[in-house]
Amino acid sequence: MLFNGVRNSAIATSRGSGEKEMERAMPVSMRESLELVSDPKNLDETVDEVFKMLGIECQRDSGPVNMDPESVTAVVGFGGLLSGACLFKSNSAAAMKIAAYMTGMEFEEVDDTVKDGIGEIGNMLAGAWKGKVPGLAANCGLSIPAVITGRDYNLHVQAPEFKLVHAYKFDDCNFEVTIICDGIQ
Amino acid sequence: MAEIRTLIVDDSSVMRKIVERSLRQAGLDPLVVYEANSGIEGLEVLKSKQVDLILSDINMPSMDGLEFLRQLKAQNLAPGVPVVMITTESSEEHVKQAILAGAQGYIRKPFTAEQVKERVLSLLKAAV
Repeated sequence: MLFNGVRNSAIATSRGSGEKEMERAMPVSMRESLELVSDPKNLDETVDEVFKMLGIECQRDSGPVNMDPESVTAVVGFGGLLSGACLFKSNSAAAMKIAAYMTGMEFEEVDDTVKDGIGEIGNMLAGAWKGKVPGLAANCGLSIPAVITGRDYNLHVQAPEFKLVHAYKFDDCNFEVTIICDGIQ
Repeated sequence: MAEIRTLIVDDSSVMRKIVERSLRQAGLDPLVVYEANSGIEGLEVLKSKQVDLILSDINMPSMDGLEFLRQLKAQNLAPGVPVVMITTESSEEHVKQAILAGAQGYIRKPFTAEQVKERVLSLLKAAV
């Protein structure tokens, strides 16, 4: 799976939202803040905030995350000073349960509403995560979420700058959130 | 209490439901909700419906929230109606752009019902 589509969309979003103002606020380099950007604590706090909004108490899980019988993945691309993506991945049962918390409805299959809800989870995770790093919030655009469902697919990024993969559990479900950075200026 | 007519603009139907639920939890009752999944659809709704409050996302395909705000002004739709942006974009620059485009309030996703109540009720009181 390649990120080019979502990344280009994120770059376009970043450019479209007031380029002149962005340039004024843009720090010289985020590379100097790599330690802060890749701080695992930011990801845990982000997941906690997003899921608390839905009334879900999450805890870190040691994994492995159950992806049977089918997995649901939301991908939101980053573009700008940092390029990469935020991914949310769970099995269909966890995705339906999260969508139920979001909507108050019950689901028996991963329909468009469930996909919409999981896409929004990806969007909020990506936005809240980049908002935790000073200088990144204004200089890193987000793509519109893409949601992928299916079995036996893997994500591969060649030589990322850093990659955070954390598993979390709630009720009787678990899920995985990944931040991949494949370029930082 | 008179009904509060609200337009919620977001490309996610799930997020529109969450925003509506938060408004009800904030005590906005009776509440009449109109929904739009883009800025373009939001403008169309406002051509035929009067509203007391507008809540809009920023990142949306076809017409984003900032362009929606600019078009509201340009087409003189819903004059004097408070507009609150609800978005994942939270930098000062984004807030500044939204205010410049005509927004009166800004709520960052993820949000709590308490935050919605705080922002929205004060704007509605000021608009009366």
